[in-house]
Amino acid sequence: MLYRLASLLTGLICLLAAGGGAVAHPHVWVTMSEELLFAPDGSVTGVRNAWTFDDMFSAFATQGIEQKNKGTFTRAELAPLAQVNVDSLKEYAYFTYAKVNGKRQKDAFLPPTDYFLDYDPKATVLTLHFTLSFKAPVKAKAIEIEIYDPEFFIDFGFGANNPVRLVGAPADCTLLVNKPQDDYFPNELRLDKNFATSEANIGMGASFANKISVACR
Amino acid sequence: MKRSTVASNAFSATTVAVAAALLLMMSALSAALAQGHPFGIRPPDATGFTGWIIAEQSRFYRALSGLIRAAKTDGSALWGLMGISFIYGIFHAAGPGHGKAVISSYLVANEETWRRGIVLSFAAALLQAITAIVIVGIAAALIGTTAKMMGDTVRVIEIVSYALIVLVGARLFWVKGRAFRRTWHEVVSGAKADGSATPKHDDHVHHRHSHSAHTHGHDHLHGQAHHHHDEQRDHDEEDDSVLPWGHAHGPEPEELAGPGGWHRGLSAIVAVGLRPCSGAIIVLVFALAQGLFLAGVASTIVMGVGTAITVGAIATLAVAARSAAKRVAATRPGYGSLALRGIEVGAALLVMIFGALLLTGYMASERTGLF
Repeated sequence: MLYRLASLLTGLICLLAAGGGAVAHPHVWVTMSEELLFAPDGSVTGVRNAWTFDDMFSAFATQGIEQKNKGTFTRAELAPLAQVNVDSLKEYAYFTYAKVNGKRQKDAFLPPTDYFLDYDPKATVLTLHFTLSFKAPVKAKAIEIEIYDPEFFIDFGFGANNPVRLVGAPADCTLLVNKPQDDYFPNELRLDKNFATSEANIGMGASFANKISVACR
Repeated sequence: MKRSTVASNAFSATTVAVAAALLLMMSALSAALAQGHPFGIRPPDATGFTGWIIAEQSRFYRALSGLIRAAKTDGSALWGLMGISFIYGIFHAAGPGHGKAVISSYLVANEETWRRGIVLSFAAALLQAITAIVIVGIAAALIGTTAKMMGDTVRVIEIVSYALIVLVGARLFWVKGRAFRRTWHEVVSGAKADGSATPKHDDHVHHRHSHSAHTHGHDHLHGQAHHHHDEQRDHDEEDDSVLPWGHAHGPEPEELAGPGGWHRGLSAIVAVGLRPCSGAIIVLVFALAQGLFLAGVASTIVMGVGTAITVGAIATLAVAARSAAKRVAATRPGYGSLALRGIEVGAALLVMIFGALLLTGYMASERTGLF
């Protein structure tokens, strides 16, 4: 009797634990365009981010913001929102993780600078621009920047064309961009496909991690 | 010989109860740890079933915006919107923040029927949809506040909701803890007396006793204003003194179910359903921006129905597992009911733990805000 009771209990516990340990699916999609900034001496000074949000989140974020011309927002009108964005990003370490010579850097960046929001009235989407400077410029053989949300509430992905650029990089630096397969990213979204392939390559946060690797000789 | 079996049975029953409580706590803890990620620690990959669920949710969620846009020009797209909203709701309930764990634990702790479990699930899910509609309807559509204000509102509601979950859990823990202690005394000290003095004292007698206790309890319950805690306590203590064996396998926790249980069920519904779903809020605001707020409202309600189906199914499983455990336990008066009381205490504790983890932010729910 106790054995049966115990196995029933185990099942029950698994059920409840599964309920509690559920994972969120993304509610926000960000299409990234990234620039790695180099100093004249070849060290990397920081990352310039341009993150374009999906249309639903853009509509949500711009809700209630006063606009002079209906259907569009100016940079000035969006300035308070950009401030909120940047402030709340701090809690999430800007979702930007740096690795220097294979070693993860904790608190590598200064607070964001040059931040602003742009609105594209045609696509009805917002783009957040901000620059993250390293606390100290990094001179290293290998630098990796990863951008992802560990809780996977936000799905980060690179844009289709030339999403990462090196600005002012020495000639001997090479760039490698790792674009994980993500069938559910806006660019690739199609309702008719994916039923068969829906199990392939799906992971959360990190396995969707977008890696920028720069190697300089 | 008889004595040693009795002692070992008592021991095993206790072990099972303690192990259950420990496991429940561990699973709650691991669930919590799986959600909080300190800097730089990657979450495990979600593959297989979990990954599939996440992928499907993402897919349906992303389809919603296209369908709302399409509905602006083509009314028939509304049907598609409703269909996708429904399926999305079914999948989405698998995500955090829809009270599967809290509702299931509550049902197990409270010995509720599956029917009540389903009603509870639907009520909570619909309340969740209504909160989202009310927030967006008032804040965005009428007053025209910003997303930040809405996010802040949701955060306040969240805190209230999580605090309520802790309270519901604490109340259950108190009631069930007392029941467990009582059963413990009856079974363990009773067993000792049984083993040494009257080894021939058989189950038959217990059976009769417990039945009379059961009837007595019910009469009492219906005859008086059973909402009042003091009366409840009187009733409990009376049972204790008059019929020390009475609870051997009597369905005493049912004092919480039945007609009197509904207003207690309400507290669970509110605790779980108060917090709106972030996805619904985003969809509603988007629909509003597209000039199709009502389509958003309909979509949110249909989503809620879908969510309720999943939560209700999981809750039914939990109730089924519990009543199976009860049937097994019924074959052993005394130790069986002690183990059952142990499960209830563990489940009540789990409700409390879930609430506390949500409240302190160790167990992540969905974010509603600008990030």
